[in-house]
Amino acid sequence: MSRPLDDVVVIDLTRLFCASLGATFLADFGARVLRLEPLPLAPREGGGEGVWNHDADLIHRNKESIALDVQSEQGRALLHALVAKADVVLTDWTAPELEALGIDYPAASVLRPDIVFGRLSGFGPLGPDSELPPIDELAAARTGMMPILPQPGQPPVYTGAGAMHSSVMLAFGVVTALLHRAVSGEGQAVDVSLFGANMYGAALDLQAFLAIGKGDRLLNPISRLDVSNPMSGALYPSADGRWVTLTMPDTDRWWPMFSAAVGIAEDDPRFDTHDKRTETHRLELIHALEAAFVTQPGKHWRQVFSEKGMSADIIERFDYPASDPQALINRYIVELEHPSFGAVKSLGFPIFMSEGTARLDALAPCSGQHTSQIMRDLLGYSEDDIHACRSAGVVA
Amino acid sequence: MTRALDGIRVIDLTVWFQGPVAAQYLADFGADVIKVERPQGGDQARGVRSIKSLEIGDWNQYFLVINRNKKSMALDLKTEGGREIMYRLVAESDVFLSNLAPAMLDAWGLSYDKLKEIKPDIIYATNTGYGRLGGVTKPSFDMTVQALTGIMARLGEPGEPPIYLGMGSGDAYGGIMSALGIALALYQRKRTGRGQCLDASLYGAQLFLAAPFLQSYLAGDSSAALQQSRKQVDNPLWNLYPTTGKWVYLCEPNEDARWAALCRAFGDTQLAADARFADAAGRRQHNEALIEVIEAHCLRHDHTGLMAAFEREGLVASPVNNLADVIRDEQAWRNNYFMKTFCEEVQREVEVRGLPISLSKTPGEIRSLGPQLGQDTELVMMELLGYEWDEIEALKAKGAIP
Repeated sequence: MSRPLDDVVVIDLTRLFCASLGATFLADFGARVLRLEPLPLAPREGGGEGVWNHDADLIHRNKESIALDVQSEQGRALLHALVAKADVVLTDWTAPELEALGIDYPAASVLRPDIVFGRLSGFGPLGPDSELPPIDELAAARTGMMPILPQPGQPPVYTGAGAMHSSVMLAFGVVTALLHRAVSGEGQAVDVSLFGANMYGAALDLQAFLAIGKGDRLLNPISRLDVSNPMSGALYPSADGRWVTLTMPDTDRWWPMFSAAVGIAEDDPRFDTHDKRTETHRLELIHALEAAFVTQPGKHWRQVFSEKGMSADIIERFDYPASDPQALINRYIVELEHPSFGAVKSLGFPIFMSEGTARLDALAPCSGQHTSQIMRDLLGYSEDDIHACRSAGVVA
Repeated sequence: MTRALDGIRVIDLTVWFQGPVAAQYLADFGADVIKVERPQGGDQARGVRSIKSLEIGDWNQYFLVINRNKKSMALDLKTEGGREIMYRLVAESDVFLSNLAPAMLDAWGLSYDKLKEIKPDIIYATNTGYGRLGGVTKPSFDMTVQALTGIMARLGEPGEPPIYLGMGSGDAYGGIMSALGIALALYQRKRTGRGQCLDASLYGAQLFLAAPFLQSYLAGDSSAALQQSRKQVDNPLWNLYPTTGKWVYLCEPNEDARWAALCRAFGDTQLAADARFADAAGRRQHNEALIEVIEAHCLRHDHTGLMAAFEREGLVASPVNNLADVIRDEQAWRNNYFMKTFCEEVQREVEVRGLPISLSKTPGEIRSLGPQLGQDTELVMMELLGYEWDEIEALKAKGAIP
């Protein structure tokens, strides 16, 4: 079966979960992703003896591995030869590191003039903080959302979602650059940062503050008992402690069925217009809903919401998606047969494509599993040359 | 200027946030994006001010930013005339994108099978709520879907309510996921000449918003699903600490040299000699006590003083800023993460979220903010679709267009 990126070779020089995952998205959709593991090998994170390395089997699936001593002269020559054969370099290495190895974008584009060079940094390629390390917590702390996510009086909250934005942005930027290359023959540099990605994760609140330039409600946490629309973005505890959440911003549309479900008269004069519900009697409605939801368990509310087709649900933990048939049938979570650990579940594929179904051809490779093969197929080395490189410790 | 997606035409039949933001990414890189809206009121996001869920300034920043660089056509797809115009538009387009319910698209004669008859290599992209298979069709808004993924329940201190990741956070993620799918399909079509249908659902995307934690849970670590207190993290050197000013995020590995640097930053030689914290295992084992000690030290400073002490010792940390800080952050402006553009609604330059993905030779750009409802209907019909003026008048009379 054909897949979108069947003709694309990617060199994966990544360390971070999010950058590696960006390369995985390309591999899932057909790209031949060659993951370079520098010698000497660092101890692998996660896993260990007898423990499934579940991270690696997500962020390095469908990739090939080549282990290479990039500090040696011969190793560097190999690296340059690899770049010359690649369509895409995808990296989260620092600018000085890449420059020292002779594979920053200007140097890489000499080796391969139409290379698409995708790089993830901490804070963007320009500006005074362009050299800060790519740590998502630092970027999230700078983005301004952490103080307003929790309830008042609680510590700031780090979500990790910004890093996940960066994975997809990196993949999208690279494919967009490949589209341009297909028309023009021209490669280019693609830059994404954890800072920028966090800012897009914070889309609406950040844009609101940018537009308004002030506002306590955008600078300080809002209590769940003080939300601006009691029927949208609100959280209420149910009888068994499970939380109910509502997203029915257009309260006029929902009020007749919603009021009946929570046992408030539809024509209750305190709440019979949108303005009363969201302005004049807002706090009163929040308290009325607080009192209503706590009378029944979460299961009851889910059933009510479901019967009436209301935009509301119960807040779940990971056990829900882990056993959700909807997640399995759409391959968002997949069951796979691991050679050492048997049947396991893993995150699958967030995008469905009818003509280019995402693949799961292989789990994470062992370090250097494909070194010989890549040297032979892609770089044209003879068996003797490969053997010599191995003996000299240039490759493994 | 050369644009990466020059010559790509996209029909954007989307509302609210996820779909529009997907099309925004394509429009920023030069695709000709035509937003198709119902004549009465258009995209519901045009009326976001009245729903009171989000602060809106004197211009509708919700709608105008994610619909920038687009045209707008007002078509009543419930009429035969409206559908006929849509079909002629499909014949001239490369991508059809919608986040409306599949049943509604079918009812309006806009299924993939139908559009493929008109334009065999069309790329037909949807944003369903919960995936194309499995039959779940309940309403899907950012927060109700986020609720199901488990991501909210694991955030915050134990016993506190679950935490929403911010207005539109999951929609924005679904949007970039959808844009990625469309770009992949366009690339494949260049090689094979074939179109396809694709779906990036809100649920499917959001399951990846907490990928490292959900993957751990799937591998058997049940604690990954639960709220974790900052007073109990394994590595006290990688943690949030209060000061008399802002909180500070310290991001250091649990290594002896980094610990020594932290003790120097606090000027505390006794602490450096404390046997409990002498090595990584000890610091992990006595994590709660160590967090209290570090917290007490941090609370002797405001964030400026603490950051200065940290910087002297080369410790990696950041103050936890708020939105007022980030909009003045030079780094954000230098990298075009924020940009200025003219806003017709208020007739002045306004500040908007810019371009988080930079392409060195074909950079994105902001040519205009979101269009007025139907502003391009007639022009597109005449110039692109070849309608004569009397045909347009007739379609108006039949209510297909306003």
